[in-house]
Amino acid sequence: MTMKTFPPLGEISDALVTEMSQAAGEPEWLTAQRVEAWRFFASAEPPYWRRTDLSKFRPEQVIAAADTAATSVYYEEDLTEKGVVLVTLEQALRSHEALIRQHLGAAIEPTRHKFLALNAALWRDGVFLYVPKNVTVELPLTAVFSMPIPGGAIMPRNLIILDDGANVTFVEEYHSTAASDQAFAAPVTEMFLGNDATLRFIAVQTWGEDVYHIGAQKARVGRGATIEWAAVNLGARVQHIEAETSLEGDGSRVEWVAATFAGDHQNLLTAPWLRHIGAKTEAHMDFKTVVKDQSYTTFDGMIKIERQSRATVSRLEEHALHLSPKARSDSIPGLMIDTNDVARAGHASTSGEVDEEQLFYMRSRGIPRDDAIHLIVTGFFEPVLDRIPHDALRRRIADMIEAKI
Amino acid sequence: MNSDLVINDLRVSVEDKEILKGVNLTVKAGSIHAIMGPNGSGKSTLAYTLMGHPGYTVTGGEVWYQGRNILELEPDERSKLGLFLAFQYPVAIPGVTVANFLRAAINAHRAEEGKDPKETAIPMAQFRKQLREQMAALGIDEGFARRYLNEGFSGGEKKRIEILQMAMLEPSMAIMDETDSGLDIDALKIVAQGVNTLYAQHPEMGVLVITHYQRLLNYIKPHFVSVLMDGRIVREGGPELALELEEKGYDFIREEVASA
Repeated sequence: MTMKTFPPLGEISDALVTEMSQAAGEPEWLTAQRVEAWRFFASAEPPYWRRTDLSKFRPEQVIAAADTAATSVYYEEDLTEKGVVLVTLEQALRSHEALIRQHLGAAIEPTRHKFLALNAALWRDGVFLYVPKNVTVELPLTAVFSMPIPGGAIMPRNLIILDDGANVTFVEEYHSTAASDQAFAAPVTEMFLGNDATLRFIAVQTWGEDVYHIGAQKARVGRGATIEWAAVNLGARVQHIEAETSLEGDGSRVEWVAATFAGDHQNLLTAPWLRHIGAKTEAHMDFKTVVKDQSYTTFDGMIKIERQSRATVSRLEEHALHLSPKARSDSIPGLMIDTNDVARAGHASTSGEVDEEQLFYMRSRGIPRDDAIHLIVTGFFEPVLDRIPHDALRRRIADMIEAKI
Repeated sequence: MNSDLVINDLRVSVEDKEILKGVNLTVKAGSIHAIMGPNGSGKSTLAYTLMGHPGYTVTGGEVWYQGRNILELEPDERSKLGLFLAFQYPVAIPGVTVANFLRAAINAHRAEEGKDPKETAIPMAQFRKQLREQMAALGIDEGFARRYLNEGFSGGEKKRIEILQMAMLEPSMAIMDETDSGLDIDALKIVAQGVNTLYAQHPEMGVLVITHYQRLLNYIKPHFVSVLMDGRIVREGGPELALELEEKGYDFIREEVASA
C-alpha cells in the first residue's frame, strides 16, 4: 500500500507541520492549533506512568501517516437522506468546518500529555460522525483503523456529534493481523451527546503484538442523554487508554462495560474516569479482566461526584480472573465525592483464580477441565460481548478470546 | 462388566478430619437405594467423593463401577462412565446459559478420541427438540434455556434444573444429594416425578438417594435403605426401615449401635 508519511518524529519541525497543513488546504485556525500542539509535544517530557511500560518505546523513530489510508468507514443504510454524515474528519473540514472548530479539542485537552499533543499536531486519520436532531440510525456505523505500514504510526482523530434526540451505534475498531515491527497508535475520540441523545459506543482494540496504543476517549453527555459504552481490549504490546464519561446534563446516564484479556507479556491499562455533574445522573460500570501468562493489566479508575450534582446513582463493578500465577492485575478504584446528596453509590470488586466449585460442577457433567475454563472465561465476558452489534465482529472477538485461553 | 456401584471400605478425610470411616455399600443397577442419616453423618462427603470433588481426600478403600475403580478417574471421566450427581447446592455459572451449558455437557459425552468434535456434536435441531421436551416435562419455562445457569434461580428452580440436566445426560448411576432440601411440597413432587419418569424410561439405571428425611421417599420409592451414621453404614434394610426411622428418629439406631 502506498501512503504519504511524515518524516520520523525526530526530524519534524514547526515549519513542516505548517507546510503540511497548508498543503492539505486546512483553515488557518487548524494550522495554528497543530503548530501549538506540536510545540507542546516537542518540548514536553514523556509522561511518567508507573503502570505503563514505555521503556522500550522509541517515539523519535515513529513515522506517522500523513493521509487517511488507515481509516475505513462502513455503513449499511442511506445516511445522506437522513442528513447523517460519516466521512473522514479531513473530508468533513470542507463541509462542516464550523462544527469541527467548535468541537475539536472541546472534550479532550491536547496538552494533557505529550501523546495527546502529538495526536492534535499530526492527526490525519479519523472520522467525523454527525447525526442531526431526532434522527435515528438503525444499523451500526463502523470505523476500522488498520496499521498500513509495518512499524508505522497512526493518529486518528474521531469527532462524534449527536444533536438532540439523535440515536446511533458507532463502532471504532483498531485492528492489525500480522505481527510487525514496533508500531504506534495514538487515537483520540471525542463524543458529544446533545439532550436526550443515545449513543451506543463500541471500542474494540485487537492490534497485533508489537503495537503501542496510547489513546484517549471522552464523552460529554447532555441532559437526559444516554451512552452505552462497551470496550474490548485484546491486542497490543502496551495499551494506555484514558477514557472519560462526563455526565453533564441532568438525568444523563452511562452504562459502561469493558472486557480486557491480556496474555504473554502484554501490558494493558485502562483508566476510566466518570464525572457526575448534572442532577440525577446515573452510572453503571462493569469492567472485566482476564490475565494469563506474564501479562499485566491495570484498572485505574476514578469516579468523581461533583459539588453541583444531586441525587446521583453510581455503581462500579470490576472483576479480574487469573489464569496463571505469574499474571498480574492491579485495581486502583478511586471515589471523590464533593456533594452531600448521593442517592446510591456502590463498588464491588473481585480478583482471583477460576472458582474450583464452578470447575467441579462443570466437570461433574462430563466437561473436561480445559473446556470448563473456556466456558467460564467466555461466560465472564458475555455481558460485554452481548453488546457487540455485528455478529461477524462478535464471532471474531469470541474466537480471539478462545484462542487466547 | 459390573453395572453395580460397589463401595469397599471407603475412608475419606476433609482437612485431616476423617469423615467416612470405612463405608461398605453396593448400589445395584436398576435399583433405587436410599441413604439416610442425621446431620454430620457424612452423607454429602459420600456424594462429593463419589463424583471426585478435589476437596475430599480419599485415605483408603475402592469404589468400583463398570469395571473401573472410579477413585482413579477425574470427575469428567466419571461422568462419561455414567455417573451423575444432583447437587444439594448447585453453583451459578455467570454468562453461560442453561442451553449452552447442556450442549457442552452433551457434546463432551459424545466426544470420541481421534474424532473431530464437530463430527460427534449433537445436531442443533435435535438438541433443541430434546431440551424443549424435557423442559416441558419438568414444568420449566422455556425462557430458562437462555438464562445464565443457576444465576438468580430460586432453590426449587435450581433443583429442577438439576433434574433437567440428569434427564438430558441420561446417566446409568444417579446420585441425588439432599434433593429435597429447600423444596416445598409441590416442587418436591415435580422433582420426584422427574426422577421417576427417567427411572421408568431407564429401568437399568441405579439411583442413590441421599436424604435426611423420609419425606422424599414417599415420592421416590426406594428398594433398599441404608443408614449412615458417624461415617459408617450401620443398618441396612428395605423401605420399612425409612418408616421406622421416621417414627423413632435416629436416636434408636444410635443406641443400638452404642450397645452393640
